[in-house]
Amino acid sequence: MHALIINGSPRVKKYSNTDKILLKITAGMEESGATYEQYEVSDRSQWPKIRERFYLCDHILIALPLYVECIPGLLIEFLETLDAERKAAALENSAKRPVMSFLLQSGFAEGVQLRCGEAYLEMLADRLGCEYGGTLVKGDNFSIRLFEGEQREKITGAYQAMGKIYGRDGAFRDEACRKFTGPEVFPLPVRLLVGTIFKTLAKKGFKDKAKEWGCTRPLDDKPYLQ
Amino acid sequence: MILIINTTADTSITSDLREALAGKGATDFEIVEAAGMKISHCVGCNFCWLKTPGICSIKDDYEEILKKMITADQLWVISGTSLGFLDHKGKNIFDRIMPLVTMYLKFKGNQMRHVMRYKKNADVGLIYEGEADRAYLERWNERAALNIGTKSLGVFPAEEWKEAVLCMH
Ligand SMILES: Cc1cc2nc3c(=O)[nH]c(=O)nc-3n(C[C@H](O)[C@H](O)[C@H](O)COP(=O)(O)O)c2cc1C
Repeated sequence: MHALIINGSPRVKKYSNTDKILLKITAGMEESGATYEQYEVSDRSQWPKIRERFYLCDHILIALPLYVECIPGLLIEFLETLDAERKAAALENSAKRPVMSFLLQSGFAEGVQLRCGEAYLEMLADRLGCEYGGTLVKGDNFSIRLFEGEQREKITGAYQAMGKIYGRDGAFRDEACRKFTGPEVFPLPVRLLVGTIFKTLAKKGFKDKAKEWGCTRPLDDKPYLQ
Repeated sequence: MILIINTTADTSITSDLREALAGKGATDFEIVEAAGMKISHCVGCNFCWLKTPGICSIKDDYEEILKKMITADQLWVISGTSLGFLDHKGKNIFDRIMPLVTMYLKFKGNQMRHVMRYKKNADVGLIYEGEADRAYLERWNERAALNIGTKSLGVFPAEEWKEAVLCMH
């Protein structure tokens, strides 16, 4: 199995959480003997190459961050540039339709946060003339870029097993992929605990990070009211 | 204040809206023709949350819109469509809205949300030109409004702009 992997994040590769997740996914795919080529939508110079490869690969994996409940504007812009003729040919020749799968990841942690975006992706695969191979859905990834080493590994490590499945099946239809999302919403006791962490530890963590980034104003500052 | 952002090149729709709003005695509205404006996509730098709170690092025409948004009661985005959804120009208006929320988090109902930066944000309505999945856009717009702590005013294909005007006040 060979997959065309597109990182649909507008964030440059170096800082992209999707990229760090893809490092694990591709390691898992290699374990299954699959091969891949990976491109970044954040780098416009790669767009001609992605377009060229798009309808030539049997398997396409678009990995993307949730952006305001759906796909990022920049990814839409890229998809708008896809060759209409090749799309039409793919739509017509359904025996040769590429299998398009997605990895949708987000900041908020609960599965329910990603369902609206996921629903669009299923529709998108069809609109692009592809067979839908399922979406691996997972939240709680905001901090990947803020962490390194073991802390980062703690968030990204589990994706490797999903990559192994993707390398084997060329899709995310396995029950294990569905379970990977975790809880749709957190039970009340967990919400109370996490809510307290938001007001204390997390708040301090973000303030410290802001300081490190050279921020000199409160994080809840209201610049346009002054 | 009713803020209408037109990301399409079609200004006939905004003339119709202007006329209809004036016709029903509305004076507090503003229409921004954004099709020709320089508005980038969001690059996800997170500076508006962690480095320059409330201020986007991209210096383009969007800042002007953002400043208007914080005084608006209603935000209406007129967008073209592609692949069943908003086109990139329409979606960028929403992606760039992040300076209106802070890095701080809380639970609202049973879901995580950002703590808002300003006291109030505008309710959100959508008018779209071209083919799209209306039911999906309605679902999406409700979620998008939730992101800024407000509610959806509805989603209307351009041909039904008069219905949208009924919801503008
Ligand atoms: C403009 C913008 C919109 C976002 N919208 C959402 C959202 O609706 N829900 C969510 O859970 N996370 C949202 N996020 C968080 C990202 O999905 C998350 O941080 C992701 O890990 C970023 O991946 P990347 O570094 O590859 O871009 C948003 C981030 C940005 C910058």
